[in-house]
Amino acid sequence: MGPRRTRDEGDRMTRTRAAAPRGFVTLGPAVAIPVARASLVTAAVTVALVAVAAVATLSLGRLGIPLADLAGALTGEADGKQEFVLERLRGPRLVVAAGTGAALGLSGALFQTVTRNPLGSPDVIGLAAGAGSGAAAVALLLPGVLPAPAGALGGAALAMALVYVSTGTGFRDPGRLIVAGIGVSAIATAFTQYVVYAVERDRASVLTAYLNGSLAARSWEHAATIWAVLLFVAPFVALLSRRLVVAEMGDEVSGGLGAGPRGTRAGAVTLSIVLSAGAVAVAGPVAFIALTAPQVARRVTGGPGPHLTLAALMGTLLLVLADLAAQQVPVPVSLPVGIHTLALGGLYLGYLLVREWRRGTL
Amino acid sequence: MSTRATPRETPRETGLAAREVTLSYGGAPVVRDVSLDIPHGGLTMIIGPNGCGKSTLLKALARTLRPDSGTVLLHGRDLRSYRGREAARHVAFLPQNPIAPEGISVRGLVRRGRYPHHTLLRQWSPEDDVSIGLALERTGLRDLAEARVSELSGGQRQRAWIAMVLAQETGTLLLDEPTTFLDIAHQYELLELCHELHRDGRTVVAVLHDLNQAARFASHLVVMKDGRVVAQGPPPEVLTSRLVEDVFGLACDVVPDPRTLTPMVVPHARFPTGDPSTSAPENVPG
Repeated sequence: MGPRRTRDEGDRMTRTRAAAPRGFVTLGPAVAIPVARASLVTAAVTVALVAVAAVATLSLGRLGIPLADLAGALTGEADGKQEFVLERLRGPRLVVAAGTGAALGLSGALFQTVTRNPLGSPDVIGLAAGAGSGAAAVALLLPGVLPAPAGALGGAALAMALVYVSTGTGFRDPGRLIVAGIGVSAIATAFTQYVVYAVERDRASVLTAYLNGSLAARSWEHAATIWAVLLFVAPFVALLSRRLVVAEMGDEVSGGLGAGPRGTRAGAVTLSIVLSAGAVAVAGPVAFIALTAPQVARRVTGGPGPHLTLAALMGTLLLVLADLAAQQVPVPVSLPVGIHTLALGGLYLGYLLVREWRRGTL
Repeated sequence: MSTRATPRETPRETGLAAREVTLSYGGAPVVRDVSLDIPHGGLTMIIGPNGCGKSTLLKALARTLRPDSGTVLLHGRDLRSYRGREAARHVAFLPQNPIAPEGISVRGLVRRGRYPHHTLLRQWSPEDDVSIGLALERTGLRDLAEARVSELSGGQRQRAWIAMVLAQETGTLLLDEPTTFLDIAHQYELLELCHELHRDGRTVVAVLHDLNQAARFASHLVVMKDGRVVAQGPPPEVLTSRLVEDVFGLACDVVPDPRTLTPMVVPHARFPTGDPSTSAPENVPG
């Protein structure tokens, strides 16, 4: 038995050293990173769809740059009107939508993984609403003192602290988390409304931006903010990703494997707060992208794993599509993107609530 | 005769040990001042009534529950002084209700047992395939490797989890009630697997409910009651009718198991008919 096994091991080792198993990308003997083929295909398709949606965003409608001129316009041969559309009207808005969608999708994937429940999502448990009220408070009550992202971060952290304390069990019990989140969400929304009405009586559009999320009139500055947040967070997410994979199997299994659940949870929640705050600072609390993007990514691939990259890409796709709808769907008044995501995401939330309730996981 | 628990003060060089460990979940202590040496290379089974703290003690040995006071020693060193993944290369733990990720395959689940051996950049190595292959073979799951865990029967699923902790390649395995939810044939199959692992040199510790199974398979029996270890030693010395009466409040006879001669508990059940002539005699030599 002994010698035979050793020889088998030797055979297997030489064979596998030549070719790593399916689902791994290798670089010499020192690097082997799991990349499932289903994820790769999904990612490629999603990126292609984002590109299509981006082209549509830039070229549809009365002010759109015709498809024939688009390539030229992007390489700097735009006429005056096209340059205005590209540089001021739709270009920044598109880049902000892409970055915000990615941040929200990633934020949702992080939170849903550590709560092990699709409903343990930043927009359901009051994280986005808290960030919105923080941003509103800083921008309207203390203009010029702090940048809006700092306010969003403070509001998001405060909201999560409130949720954490009021559940009594931290972020472990999804049912309590959702109930506490609804309460904190309501408080934060009421606070935002108060601030906006107290300071900006006449400007309903400001209220919209802070309550529902809007991508209207975004600048390159906004785009730089959200992409800077994404770039800053990305390496930490990469470091945490392995722990998140085992976190899926419950606190005790992950603890037994040497990935203490507390550390994983603290890291994921912190990163999720930063991402949500960044997204809310540039676009307001756009509803339900964080809830749906990771779930869509999971459904499409059908496999295990937190699907962090896919959730980010899916968030980008969803928000770019929602903003395309916000700009092009002919409704009497132009609705902010947040209303669109709210309408569609609300239906999905209802479905999830019913499903989780039936499963008894609430 | 039962051997009363006596804390040994000398730290041992190999294996797991608890030293005056008190454990709680934030409230009243569940385990109080327990000192225990897990025999290295043994098959230790921890028994005791519901709520006696046996699962809690196992969690502390697995480093998933921090002691309020006292220390758990691994190879003579405080378990908390190990880094998480380092400890997980020595001790593997299978809790009572592990959660299988949605859509995961058996091989995918078993591969996750390799986590403590990986680094961020090196999440696969040739040794992985060897360990995963052996773990699948050992648990008889080779043909089901690509099946989804959600499609397995209860017994197969439990074996998949065992395979995951086997792939961890640790010297010590801690199993919390591994036979729960299994039918009787699968229970014995799993206990035989535990015994094989022990025979091959691994240290196995299992929390078990069934006294006769524990007595039949254990090389070392640990009996707990009210958060304390009340007896430990080889099953024939530990498992007496008096101990079962004291610890579980169950009047019984302990007779030799007709197949293995290990102690077997035969309760003085009250018969539905109430006919005294059918009740068991008071004393059967054991």
